[in-house]
Amino acid sequence: MATQDGLETSREGDQQVSRMRGRIFEAMCLAATAIGLVAVGILLLYVTADAIRPFSADPGWHLVFFATLVVPSTGFGLYLYARDGNAGKVAYTALGLGLIGVLLAGALVILFVEIFPYGEWFALSIALAILGAVTVVHRRYRRHAETERTGLLIVTLLVTVFGIPPGAIAELLGLPFYIPSVRGLIASSPVLPLDWIMLVPSLVLPVAAAAGWFVRGRRESNRAGLVTAGAVIVGSVLGVGLGPVVGVGVEGWMLIVLSTAVPLGLYVESVLRRDEGRLGLLFPVVLVGGTLLGAVLTRTLGFAGPDPWLDWGFLTSATSTTPADAGIYPVMVGSIMLLIVIVLTTFPVGVGAAIYLEEYAPSSGLMGRLVTLIEINIGNLAGVPSVVYGLLGLALFVRFFQMPTGSVIVGGLAVGLLILPIIIISAQEAIRSVPDSMREASYGMGATRWQTVRNVVLPEALPGILTGTILAFGRAIGETAPLLMIGMAASVRVPPNGFFSRSGAMPRQIFQWARQFDPAFLNGVLPAGVVTLVFVLLVMNGTAIIIRNRYQRGS
Amino acid sequence: MSTDTQPDITSRPTGKVAREKLYNGIFFLCAALSVAVTLSIVVLLARDAVGFFAAVPPSDFFLGTEFVASKGKFGVLPLVSGTLLVTVLSALIAIPIGVAAAVYLSEYASERMRAVLKPGLEILAGIPTVVYGFFALVYVTPFLRVLGLPVATFNVLSASLMVGIMIIPMVSSLSEDAMSSVPDSLRQAGYGLGATKYDVSTSIVIPAALSGIFSSFILALSRAIGETMIVAVAMGLSPQMLDLSDPLSNVLGNGQTMTSKMVQVVGSELAGSDAGYKSLFAIGITLFAITFIMNLISNRIAARYREEYE
Repeated sequence: MATQDGLETSREGDQQVSRMRGRIFEAMCLAATAIGLVAVGILLLYVTADAIRPFSADPGWHLVFFATLVVPSTGFGLYLYARDGNAGKVAYTALGLGLIGVLLAGALVILFVEIFPYGEWFALSIALAILGAVTVVHRRYRRHAETERTGLLIVTLLVTVFGIPPGAIAELLGLPFYIPSVRGLIASSPVLPLDWIMLVPSLVLPVAAAAGWFVRGRRESNRAGLVTAGAVIVGSVLGVGLGPVVGVGVEGWMLIVLSTAVPLGLYVESVLRRDEGRLGLLFPVVLVGGTLLGAVLTRTLGFAGPDPWLDWGFLTSATSTTPADAGIYPVMVGSIMLLIVIVLTTFPVGVGAAIYLEEYAPSSGLMGRLVTLIEINIGNLAGVPSVVYGLLGLALFVRFFQMPTGSVIVGGLAVGLLILPIIIISAQEAIRSVPDSMREASYGMGATRWQTVRNVVLPEALPGILTGTILAFGRAIGETAPLLMIGMAASVRVPPNGFFSRSGAMPRQIFQWARQFDPAFLNGVLPAGVVTLVFVLLVMNGTAIIIRNRYQRGS
Repeated sequence: MSTDTQPDITSRPTGKVAREKLYNGIFFLCAALSVAVTLSIVVLLARDAVGFFAAVPPSDFFLGTEFVASKGKFGVLPLVSGTLLVTVLSALIAIPIGVAAAVYLSEYASERMRAVLKPGLEILAGIPTVVYGFFALVYVTPFLRVLGLPVATFNVLSASLMVGIMIIPMVSSLSEDAMSSVPDSLRQAGYGLGATKYDVSTSIVIPAALSGIFSSFILALSRAIGETMIVAVAMGLSPQMLDLSDPLSNVLGNGQTMTSKMVQVVGSELAGSDAGYKSLFAIGITLFAITFIMNLISNRIAARYREEYE
């Protein structure tokens, strides 16, 4: 009896000990998962506080915004979280779309003002329109001559973009005159149209047509499509009157409408139609309304807001030796131009390589072995330190190809090589997740391999590819070491005036500020720059996550 | 001859075969570009490195204990010891935390927790390294001083802390993959024997996933070795030999890694001095070789473990 009792208690004790141990272990593991996140979260809070300086505001200012913005939005958010999961998702997506749209509008304005003037874009869009017209006409008369059509298109593209200059080629063809490029034609006209007039046919109409087409397909109604397209055009053209009044200018208004209002409108329409989580649409309204109300109230009550380092002046001026005047604008332009180079070079090559490895590559024989080697090599390249890519850029582009030191093109190519393996690997994963049955159905209908890739595999894999590439581009924006190695400029006062001119970049500028000893730089200008960079990255990552959530294959 | 109204499925429209071949060729070139990248890294870096070793004997480079370009001294050892120190310290942080996080995510976490924690960890890896360097310099170093550690303005410790946090996601995500691919039958066998969740996690899942976990360590270490901006911003610019009699002074004082020396050399106007400039390539190819070999080893280990369960 006694022994049995002893046995019972000791076993119970054992169980308690092991249960205790299990709990402690679980808690430790959870703490380990969270510790990095918590540490970085606290650091990010510190940076934001340094950049915004919320404590320089009146207490009354805080009180007003607490009442108009924080309380309603938190309350509403908690309500949605607890009651209506779908509405929460809608709120999150609508807010995200708005943010992405505003950021995109800013990038487009910078693009048109600094890099690619409205006139150039107008000329390019006319050239593309001619190209489209040639394709349609040729397809009507000689439907099966596909090779001939490809050749014709290349010739048309060359002629419209470059023209046929007077000289050898014109004489060879026996032309009595030369053909100017579309751009030359526009430049030689006595009066240049206003910027916004060029923007209407070259950007507003295509976007309106695309939105109309999209709605027509979804609602299966021609009328809905026409109404949508009309609304887009009217909304954009309203900017002629309203843009200057609001203070963004006609072009600014149009770009904001096209990049923010159009996607947001389409999203709102789809939510209303599906009738799921409509309530979530109110969340952005609460936020914006609360902000406006707070702004009006604080102004009338005379409460002073904070005096942040990160303000409009910081975003629109160049760096300076005096901390108060320092800004980030020229390097922001530099970073956008870098990103253009990176996207244009790595996206096609990376996706092409992934298509080859997943769809074309033989798995046996000599070629099969070569393909295995390529795959191993790509995996290894993804682990090569970024500073080595910088060295490669220096040796290959600057010293071997004699490209200008520190120019946008060299920086873009060096960072592009760095993220290429990442893009290939993520695109491969996206392509691999397309079910084989879809390919087999396509082959079964007699499609060739390329037709299968183009019509079945790529459309199906596109969301996955986009998610991976956007994440990679986010990484590219923050890369600093390669830019240092190829000699990007430490401090620039003006935006680069072309892809071959020397430029700065946001992370490069942050590194430069980090080497200043002036505490006003270290604790003021630098945090403002860091917050700008991290904000751009978070929005890009958020975009990728939105795309992933929306199109994720149920696995 | 078929008429246009009847689709002719046996004919091959002109150029179709040629076009297929063309696309095959273009896509192959895209894939083959990666090999060209590797080759050009090796060839271009080796060319200048060879030029460097013609001027400076390899023994001076690999065994020298001083790196002062202006005096013509190019000993890489102090840089290697700086790199080693950062790597070891950051591994001490990232390896236990990363493995514990992987255990939590793979064995304990509910779907809802995973949905929050996994993207969160991805964000840790997505923050630019120059930002981590700024954190180390402006916030972590003063914080360490508040704790009472006599750290220098630029010091190894805060840089290593940030490198450690940065590589946690590498350890955790790869280790978690390895743990999730341990077959459930092994776990159930453990539970059937009366084991608790703790026993199953520590005595069955971790040992079974060990090769995957090790391969994640190696990848994370190679990332730490190649990390540039954190150390360039927060660790200072003076190479220090590891002082084995007083390693604490190394940790609290400043130092320099191979990567940050490269950034410094290219940034200063050393470009005039030929040997100084070419030392860049000697360091670069050493770094490339170390990380490339580590990645290969990691792949090997990971490949071996994958075969075990399939």
